Amino acid sequence: MFPFFSCDSCLIALTPFIVWYSVFVYKKLNSRLYAYLRVYWIGKSTQSRTRIISQLLIAKMDKTNDMIRTPVIGNDTKDHQHVHLLNTKPPLLAGFRKKLSQSPRSSTLAISPAVHQYNSHGFDTDTSFESPVGGAPGGGDSLFMSPDRDSSSKSGSASKESGKQNISQAERLRLWRHDAYLQHHYKTAEFIGDKVLSLTKDPNDAFWLAQVHYSTGQYARARQLLSEDRLSESVSCRYLAALCLTKMERWEEALQLVGDSNPFTSSVFHSVKSQDHGIKLEASMCYLRGQIYSNQNCFDKARDCYREAVLVDPKCFEAFDELVSNHLLSPEEEWDLLTSLQFNELDDNADFVKSLYTIRISKYLHSDKITDAEALLAEDYSLDANGDILQSRADLLFLQCAFSECMAVCEKIMALDAYKLAALPNYVACLHELGGKNKLFLVAHQMADQHPDEPVTWLSVAMYYLSTNRISLARRYFSKASMMSPNFVQAWIGFAHTFAIEGEHEQAISAYSTAARLFLGSHLPSLYLGMQHLHLNNFNLAEEYLESSFNICKSDPLLLNEIGVTHYHKSNFSRAEAFFLDALRASEVIKSEPQAWLSIHANLGHVYRRTRQFAKSLEHFEDVLCSNPTDHNVQSAVGLVHLQMGNISEAINYFHKALSIVPADPVATDLLGRAMEENVKRGIGVLAPSSPDVSRINTSNIIIPGGTPKPLVFPDPDAPSSPSMFYNDDSHASMDISE
Amino acid sequence: MTPSSNLSLATNLRNASVLFSDLCLYQSAKWCIEALDGLQLDPQNPDSLAQARMDFYSQLGTETDKYLLGKMYFDTKEYDRCAYHLKDCKGSIPNFLRLYAQYMAGEKRREEEGQGVLASTDGVTTNNQLVSIIQECTKLLARFPQDPYLLYLYGVVMSKQNNYKEAIEVLVRSLVIQPYNWSCWMEILTCMSHIDGLDSIVKRLPKQLVTTKMFIVVCHQVFCQPLDLVQNFIEELETIFPQFHYLTIQKALLNYHNLGYAEAEQIFDHVINLDPHRLDDMDAYSNILYVMEKRSKLSFLAQLASCTDKFRPETCCIIANYYSLRTDHEKAITYYRRALTLNRNCLSAWTLMGHEFVELKNSHAAIESYRRAVDTNQNDYRAWYGLGQAYEVLDMHYYSLYYYQRATALKPMDPRMWQALSNCFEKLKRYDEAIKGYKRSLAVQDNDPTVFYRIAALYEKTGDQRMASKYMEACLGTELAEGVTDETAKARIWLARYEFDQGNFSSALRYAMEYTHGSPQDLEEARAIVKTIQEREAA
Repeated sequence: MFPFFSCDSCLIALTPFIVWYSVFVYKKLNSRLYAYLRVYWIGKSTQSRTRIISQLLIAKMDKTNDMIRTPVIGNDTKDHQHVHLLNTKPPLLAGFRKKLSQSPRSSTLAISPAVHQYNSHGFDTDTSFESPVGGAPGGGDSLFMSPDRDSSSKSGSASKESGKQNISQAERLRLWRHDAYLQHHYKTAEFIGDKVLSLTKDPNDAFWLAQVHYSTGQYARARQLLSEDRLSESVSCRYLAALCLTKMERWEEALQLVGDSNPFTSSVFHSVKSQDHGIKLEASMCYLRGQIYSNQNCFDKARDCYREAVLVDPKCFEAFDELVSNHLLSPEEEWDLLTSLQFNELDDNADFVKSLYTIRISKYLHSDKITDAEALLAEDYSLDANGDILQSRADLLFLQCAFSECMAVCEKIMALDAYKLAALPNYVACLHELGGKNKLFLVAHQMADQHPDEPVTWLSVAMYYLSTNRISLARRYFSKASMMSPNFVQAWIGFAHTFAIEGEHEQAISAYSTAARLFLGSHLPSLYLGMQHLHLNNFNLAEEYLESSFNICKSDPLLLNEIGVTHYHKSNFSRAEAFFLDALRASEVIKSEPQAWLSIHANLGHVYRRTRQFAKSLEHFEDVLCSNPTDHNVQSAVGLVHLQMGNISEAINYFHKALSIVPADPVATDLLGRAMEENVKRGIGVLAPSSPDVSRINTSNIIIPGGTPKPLVFPDPDAPSSPSMFYNDDSHASMDISE
Repeated sequence: MTPSSNLSLATNLRNASVLFSDLCLYQSAKWCIEALDGLQLDPQNPDSLAQARMDFYSQLGTETDKYLLGKMYFDTKEYDRCAYHLKDCKGSIPNFLRLYAQYMAGEKRREEEGQGVLASTDGVTTNNQLVSIIQECTKLLARFPQDPYLLYLYGVVMSKQNNYKEAIEVLVRSLVIQPYNWSCWMEILTCMSHIDGLDSIVKRLPKQLVTTKMFIVVCHQVFCQPLDLVQNFIEELETIFPQFHYLTIQKALLNYHNLGYAEAEQIFDHVINLDPHRLDDMDAYSNILYVMEKRSKLSFLAQLASCTDKFRPETCCIIANYYSLRTDHEKAITYYRRALTLNRNCLSAWTLMGHEFVELKNSHAAIESYRRAVDTNQNDYRAWYGLGQAYEVLDMHYYSLYYYQRATALKPMDPRMWQALSNCFEKLKRYDEAIKGYKRSLAVQDNDPTVFYRIAALYEKTGDQRMASKYMEACLGTELAEGVTDETAKARIWLARYEFDQGNFSSALRYAMEYTHGSPQDLEEARAIVKTIQEREAA
């Protein structure tokens, strides 16, 4: 039974994923159990959470037993027997378990999965903890071991044939220690563990004592215990020791302990399947190495370590999560990683887990596959109401700028799980988008009351201030959030945006640069850098940044639009047109709301205006005006096109409209004056719209040749200038924030 | 019209009216039922009414209760609540009501957020629901392409977004299916910028329908077209609807636009006798009385209206007209403001308020109000003309010219427009254009001595003495009909001078001798010419 508990060392670190993962699997198995879990997991007390974990473990054993049938463990006949035995008894076991879990007199030992062994074999697995020392390289194994791997037992103090009466004294103490550990009676566990160690001098007991120390935060003590020579060869001990060092922020020492690269890369174990459905220790080591590098600001190395960890064992979700949620990989790299992961290790869970991973990664590419994965999860596993599936949907909707739908999904997630903070960045961004200041206020306050330690709380506070246009306050809280969690991309970018909004380009540029350094795989920081330079009319620099952003992500409409704008400013209209069209296509690919990309249409309109394709130009401008008739820039642009076409009276009409929106707009005023003068030159013929004279009028004198140095007007503030649009127009401003 | 077709028309109108009121389209319902009343049929049992209502509710199916709930909230003006409760409905009718309520909520909020008439934000605040309504409407129309009410709503929203072409397109589609929706016809009218568009719209609709004919009549009225163009239609419609006040008032207004004030007054008197509490269009009546300066009648009308309902925009306009006639312009403006607070789209109030500001020499405020008037309805020539005048006062002739052009385009048969236009060209020293404009004015009205004189003066300025003399003679020619005016007198002295310079002493002598009215200097000069010629002859 002991080996089973070894899993707990990982559990501390992995709880979020365990819950996440297991709940999926077992919901199907036992909806009551699921409901039970939900209730307890929501409750804040750690005690109840432990109960949940224990429950999960039971369930997990169920599943494990199912899985044993596949030839994972190979030709061990005992396994087959064992499975057979178990499978014949599930009703009985279930009943037994239920009764036990309800009885206050039983310990958690009674509800642990070890009960199975207890029932089927008696306590024959008593010392099944494989010695950390004895295990060969151990790189391919996780701490979580098959219950049947008792053969290597060294202590051998207990008889294997007999039942529970025959447990040795040390065994009883160990049981005591473990139950105390599980029930978070750490003092007991420490007290007893210490005594067991002294009695037996067993390295296993030393390891377990170290675990207890670790759980109570006595990292130095655990480290000291593990630093004995006899323990240092064991991988699991080394891992725990390194973990302790990282907790003490002694990064260099930790790195020495885990090695600065994976020592097992070339070993045969690399491709060996994990024997026990746990997480390979090798993967955990890689992950830990990544963490260390990340803290030493070596982000490339950290990224490589994380990637290695997932490649070694796709079950190492922590590493995957680091990669994805911190945007360490570009969308394409994410896809490459996903396709190269060894999901077949997961046997019949392969498709399931692959789908789960698929919906987590960037939505810019292969949206069809992501949709397929989501459909699979929703239909085959009926997970359509699961928080993470909904989260993925919310991400996608946000990317499509379908803010109200996205908000609805986020609200659904929070209704299911009020403490699921992952939904919050999207939610506050949507509220900001849709002008839900009041709700934002409430959310920010609730968060600050309940989770003052969460960076996302301060993100929502900052967003509230951003919505109410109190920029310096917003900046303060963005900064606070990014201090609390240096990897919080939204906070960094929001921080940089506050400078951009106030026109502090230099500071904005330096903030975006920091973000670019932190989030290697995200194209957004360099995109924003490009936009800032565009704003400062540094077209060459802008182009460079945009290009580097383009190398990371080729399918963001905003990016393509900005590149188009750069080309426009360089008067390279054919390329600009090509990029704008690409941007439109990209926005269709992600099935984005057409309203969100009006600026692309406006820009295309300007391109066609400059290339004198007036009909096309008007078409695009009209698209914009249909959705947003109050855009005075576009109104004047339409007026200008009409002026160039010689439709003076239409032109005047549009300039009037522009001026009725912004009465003092200098461009429109100037253009209107010119149009009026033209109108007089036309004489009396221009009258009615139906007047036939209009077409005959020679317009050559008023038309503004695109390239001439001193044209009629348009100092080109007109110019697509999405950067300026961008900061005035909220719809774009938030897009970035949520990314 | 045969009695049987009259009966079927009555059935159609009755069913449509009930249906519209079930759909909360109350203005359309009101129009239909008034039309039904105007048929003057014998009292009868409505046979198919129950069936029509049953059809309507069976179409709603299981969503009937939800719909009724929504409708009730709509009726109690809780628009947001109505939209919220209907949000999960699938059918076309509840969705129509939901979007309609959303639209109304947006309008209401816009009114509340605007800071009153002519405030700084006035006219800038928009209905922020429009974009989302368009989106949802597009989706719904994909599912219900033939739903006339969704099409109507879509058209209204499009028109509010100034996308008139698309709006007309959709509204016509709606009318093909449901031709009795009078509000829909009226929405088309606001989307039209010129009477020329009428043909292409009517072409797509069944010609024989009374509503189509009615629309043609109203269209001519709104665009101030000559009465005789629609005389046939009016007569035909009057035989069908012996007592439909809406129709009679259209006739009155057509008369009014064609300067037949007396006939218009008569018709209005008739309507007031039959329906003393009718306020619709009575502001137009007060305009007529104002123009005719019938102060006592206007006072009576104002009293009557304020007894009926003090807080109707029409009432406020009538009272404002009354004050304006008493040259109490401040008070008039107060009442126009009130009218506009009650209904921002009250077109004539904007224009008339502009006139009042002109009276008070407040050109900027006048420009603002005229501009609102043309924003609300681009077809009001008086507002365009007012804008032209106001800018002329400010010496901004380029602007002024443009506005006169707009006014002229709307009312090409009005010589005043052409004269104003030419005057502007003259100020801008574009004499050729000015001459052309005056000539167009003459084409409309050919015996105005002033115009002849102006043309002649312009020719003189361009150095074309020969043409100038021709027009001076033409100016003199009007004396036969109009008698002696200042212009003819000036023309005469000019001609005397001209002929003298040309050496035609006999004609010069004739002109100078005939010159009896005019300024002392001119009289002196005329005498001098006579004297010189006589001396020359004597020598």
